[in-house]
Amino acid sequence: MLVPHVDTPRARPGADDHRDPIFHDEGYGYDLFGLHPPTAVRALRAVMPWYRRYFGVESRGVENVPSDGGAILVANHGGMLPIDAAMLWADVLHRTARFLRPIADRFIPKVPFASATLARAGVVSGTHANVKHLLDRGELLAIFPEGVSGPAKPFRDRYKLQQWRVGHAELAIRYQVPIVPVAIIGAEESWPVLLRLPFGLFGAPYIPIPMTPFPLPVRLSIHYGRPTELHHRYTVSAADDPRQVAAAAAETHEAVASLIERGLAERRRP
Amino acid sequence: MKVLVTGATTPLGVEIVQQLLANPSVGHVLAVGLEPDAVPATCQRSRFTYQAIDLTRSRAVHDLLFGVGRELGIDTVIHGALHRSVRASGRDVHALNVEATRQLVLESARHPTIRRFIHRSAAEVYAVQSSEPNLLDEDVPLELDPAAPQWVRDRVEADVTVCAQIGRGPLSIAVLRSAEVLAEGAGSQLWDYLQSRVCFRPLGFDPMINLLSVEDYARAVTFAAGLRASGVFNIAGADTLPLSAITRRFGRRGIAIPGPLLAPVYQLRRWTIGREFRYDLNRRRFHFGGVMDGTRAARELGYRPACSLWPDVRSPTLGTRVISFQLN
Repeated sequence: MLVPHVDTPRARPGADDHRDPIFHDEGYGYDLFGLHPPTAVRALRAVMPWYRRYFGVESRGVENVPSDGGAILVANHGGMLPIDAAMLWADVLHRTARFLRPIADRFIPKVPFASATLARAGVVSGTHANVKHLLDRGELLAIFPEGVSGPAKPFRDRYKLQQWRVGHAELAIRYQVPIVPVAIIGAEESWPVLLRLPFGLFGAPYIPIPMTPFPLPVRLSIHYGRPTELHHRYTVSAADDPRQVAAAAAETHEAVASLIERGLAERRRP
Repeated sequence: MKVLVTGATTPLGVEIVQQLLANPSVGHVLAVGLEPDAVPATCQRSRFTYQAIDLTRSRAVHDLLFGVGRELGIDTVIHGALHRSVRASGRDVHALNVEATRQLVLESARHPTIRRFIHRSAAEVYAVQSSEPNLLDEDVPLELDPAAPQWVRDRVEADVTVCAQIGRGPLSIAVLRSAEVLAEGAGSQLWDYLQSRVCFRPLGFDPMINLLSVEDYARAVTFAAGLRASGVFNIAGADTLPLSAITRRFGRRGIAIPGPLLAPVYQLRRWTIGREFRYDLNRRRFHFGGVMDGTRAARELGYRPACSLWPDVRSPTLGTRVISFQLN
């Protein structure tokens, strides 16, 4: 049951460490980007059996996700479909009661059904103005700096970070928000790609042909690292300095890579 | 303040005139329209003059500004005369939409008493596409596609013509790019779209759309008229909701059909019923939406949308909202 209240954030009755999620209503139950909490909650209910039973998601370090204010989760990306993004979204909403706003590639709004459905769950197209507005409002974003090169990597390159875009570091510095590095272990093996047909539909760079008809029931673990407080070390003006932005992005790359290493090592332990 | 209002006989023009006359600091309103006698009954004749003028005739425009305009000491021009029909095209339409605008702004710049020029532009001048933000600020690229219908090209050309004069002389210019004014006679494509009992939209898409009321639009214009702030300002509306919800609010039945079928369906509708709605004009907006970002207008003009189209439905308290939910 979904009961909207106009109130300040408060503890959810009967919940252990949760607070109720907030969103910025434009008056009709939607936010500017189309997030619709009842639909998002329905999506969460649909995802939870996959989250709990099929992938058996375990997450560690969720206390590193700020309970309020703008922040950017930066994670590795892989697999045929963005199962990692869906599980991260569900984990954050379920465990921190914050609506995560995954930043999608710009072709996503062109894809029928995905366009409308993902927007209702909180996904936003990755343009600078959109992201700026969300951070100004103190929202929690998820950015996958590998972009399309993440899902496009061959199976043998799983968990090897690909081209690491620097936009997330620039945003964190410019809007003075923390970056929380995240490693998602399991998703990069969950649905291997057999072939990539080199013609794009709806602006997608290729059409993936999966090796299996369904994703494999790989155990997924999500590791949240300690926030890299770039905004404490870089001034706003550094956002316009390509060298400083590249250095900041290298820090987040390093943080995510070491979390992946740790996650893989933990998985190997009996 | 003494104000010249063009397009004064349209629903938007009438509301602007009414709001100006309700403001005691407005000394006189010179309203201009095409209709020979269109003076609203409520207007006080002592502060109001109506002139029927064809703005496509350059001599008439010159005489308006330097004749009665100078005699009355007009200091502000609010230019909102635009062809509203998307079916109209050709040289005469261009003459009103663009050439009249060009002449008005150029002659206002060298006029002895005019110091303020407000130009009505619209969200249609923006190029809405998937790569652009959902939130349209004033820096979003303009629709410069040569294949765009004249209805759009004229609006972009008029907008750019006025923008080119900003900061070039003593005339302070404000270009107001308004969200869609959902009202009859306001030239709203969406209004015409919603006149059918069944409204088709592209399958798999349900974009967010921002709507502006006539009252809010007129309020923004009168705010701008009373200030000196120069530049381009997006005028956002109070209502932002998905296309499907707008259809429901209007009591229409929304049906999603594959996108490629929409153009022929609405073409057929135009041929048979003769409606104004053109799907090719709205194709991108019906896929990707585009919500006006009114931050600059709020900051510099003090305008914030206040009049909802559905005040009984819209939540009175906007902003942060807490959602309680139980997973199981």
